[in-house]
Amino acid sequence: MKDFMGFTRRNILIYFKDILAVFFSLLTSIIVFVLYLLFLKGTFVDALTGTMKGLENIVSSQDIEMFVNGILLSGILGSSMITVPYTCLQTIVKDREAGVDIDICSTPLKRWKIVLSYFTASSLCAFIMTSLILTVGLITLGFMGDLHMTAGSVLASYGAVLLGSLSSTALFMMILLLFKSSSTSTAFFGILTAASGFVIGAYIPLSRFSDGVQSFCNLFPASHITALIRNLLLSGISDKIDSSIGGLDNGAFISAVKETFSFNAVAFGKTFSSSGSVIYVLIIALVSILAMTYLYKKTYMRR
Amino acid sequence: MNIIEVRNLTKDYKGKRAVDSISFDVEEGELFAFLGENGAGKSTTINMLCTVLAKTTGSAFIAGKELGKEDDEIRKAIGIVFQNSVLDRKLSVKENLLTRGSYYGLSAREVKERIEPFKERFELDEIWNRRYEKLSGGQRRRVDIVRALINDPKILFLDEPTTGLDPKSRRLVWDHIDYLRREHGMTIFLTTHYMEETRDSDHVVILDKGNIIAKGTPAELKSRYAHSKLVWYTAQSPDSENLISRISNEFAYDADHYNIVTDDDLTEFIYQNKKHIRDYELIKGSMDDVFLTLTGKEFA
Repeated sequence: MKDFMGFTRRNILIYFKDILAVFFSLLTSIIVFVLYLLFLKGTFVDALTGTMKGLENIVSSQDIEMFVNGILLSGILGSSMITVPYTCLQTIVKDREAGVDIDICSTPLKRWKIVLSYFTASSLCAFIMTSLILTVGLITLGFMGDLHMTAGSVLASYGAVLLGSLSSTALFMMILLLFKSSSTSTAFFGILTAASGFVIGAYIPLSRFSDGVQSFCNLFPASHITALIRNLLLSGISDKIDSSIGGLDNGAFISAVKETFSFNAVAFGKTFSSSGSVIYVLIIALVSILAMTYLYKKTYMRR
Repeated sequence: MNIIEVRNLTKDYKGKRAVDSISFDVEEGELFAFLGENGAGKSTTINMLCTVLAKTTGSAFIAGKELGKEDDEIRKAIGIVFQNSVLDRKLSVKENLLTRGSYYGLSAREVKERIEPFKERFELDEIWNRRYEKLSGGQRRRVDIVRALINDPKILFLDEPTTGLDPKSRRLVWDHIDYLRREHGMTIFLTTHYMEETRDSDHVVILDKGNIIAKGTPAELKSRYAHSKLVWYTAQSPDSENLISRISNEFAYDADHYNIVTDDDLTEFIYQNKKHIRDYELIKGSMDDVFLTLTGKEFA
C-alpha cells in the first residue's frame, strides 16, 4: 500500500507544485467568472425578467440575482471539473515523454497500481479544487444573500462534485493514454479550454442550441454533473421564487426558467432526470475505467 | 560467482532485430562495461535486463532470478541510473527521494536511513530541500545515483551516466562509482560513450548492430585488437630506418620523430638499442584502437 500511496502523493504534488499548471487548469473558470462580471450576469437577469411578465412586482430582484449567481457557480464548477483533471492527468504524457515511466516501471510498483494511482491522484486534485471553489462560492453567496439551501443539498453538492471529478478523470485518462507527446495533449487542452464553457452551458444555456448540439454537449459527463449541481444549488431559491408567486402561474415560470437554464440534460430527444444523469455518468465512468485499463496494458506493458 | 547470466538474448523491435542472440556473464562485485555506438543495442539490452522491456527470445538470470518470470524480485535487486534524468523537476530532492523510495514499499523513515550513509559523500544536505530543476548537471547526477541506491541494490545499472557532464562532474561521478564498488562491493553494469571510462573495468563487451563483436578484460582486448606505438625522436636517417625495420615495416617520419607501430615487444627492443634510442615515447594501444580495429569506425 505504501507504494500506491507514495505514487499517488507524487502525482498530486506534481500538480500542486506547478503554479502555472494550477492557474491554467482554472483558466476557463476564471474566464467564466470575468465574463459574468462583464456581461453574462446582465444577460441572464434580462433573460429571466423577460420570461416573468406580470410577475415583476412579486418576485424580488434579490432572489433573481441569487438565482443567477447560483447559475454562475454551477458553470465555474462544471468547467473546473473538466480542466483540472485534464491538467493533472497530463503528467501521464509528460512521464512518458521524459522517460519517467521507465523509471517507474523498473520498480516493484505493479502496473495496475500505477494506472489506479494516476486516476486517484487526478480525481483527488479535481475534487480538492472543485470543493474549494464550491466552498468559497457558497460562503460568498452566503454573504450576498440566501440561496435557501438545505444541509442535505450542500452535502449532495459535494457528492456531485466528487462524482464529476471521478467521471471526468476516467474519461480524460482514456483519451490521454492515446497521446504520445506533450505538444499534442497541450493542443487538445487548448481546444478543451475554449469548448468546455460552451459544452456545460456556462456561457450560453444549452437550451439555446439546436437539438443536435445539445445532444453532443450532453454526451459529456460534466454537462450532466453541471445540470445536477444546478438543481442542488438552486432548488431552494427556485422553491422560494415559486412560493412567492403563490401558485398564480401554476409553477409555469419556474418550469420555464429550469428549461431555459437546462436543469435537466437533454440528449437525442430524451430528458434525463437527476438520477438518470447520475446513472449515465456512472456508466460512462465505468466504461472509461475498463477502457483505460486495457489501453494502459497496451501502452505500458511493452511486451 | 556470476550475478548476471545472459544467454542468447534477442529483441525484435518494430520488425527489426535490435539485439541479436547475445550471451555474457557478469561476476559479482565487478565493473562490467558495455560499449557500442548509438543504436548498437546497449540501452535495449539494459532495458530488458531491468525488466522494462520484454525479451523476444533467450534467457537471463539477474541476482539469481529469472528474467520474465521473477521480474518483481529482479526489480528489488537492481538500481538504475538512466541516461537522462528521470526525477521530477518541480519536486525537491527530498520529495523525489522519499516518493521513489515508497515505490519499493519503504516508509519515509526507512528511506532516510538508507540514504544516510551516502548523504555526506554525495553532499545531499546542501541541496536536500532544493527543487530538482534548480540543480546543476553534476548535482542532478549525484541525486540520480542516490535514487538508484534507495532500495539497497546488488547491481547498479548505469546507462551512459556521464554523458553531457563537464570533466569535473564526470570525474566526481567516477569517484562515486569507485566508492560504491570499493566500500559496498556493488556490481556495476555500465554503458558509456567514453572509451577511457572502460579502462578500470573488469570486463568489457563491445556491441555492434545488436551483436557482441568482442569481450574480455581491457588488457586482453587491447593485446588482441590494438597495437602499441613507439614515437622515437631522432633525425631521419637510413641507419635509423634499418634499425626500425628489424621490428616493423609500419613506420613513418613526422617532423622530428618516427611513428612506429608493431605487435612486437617494444620494451625489449628499446632496451637492446638503448644507445640509439634515447628520446622516445611508448604509447600503449587504447580502447579507441580496439574499437577502430573491430568496427572500422572511430568511436563517437
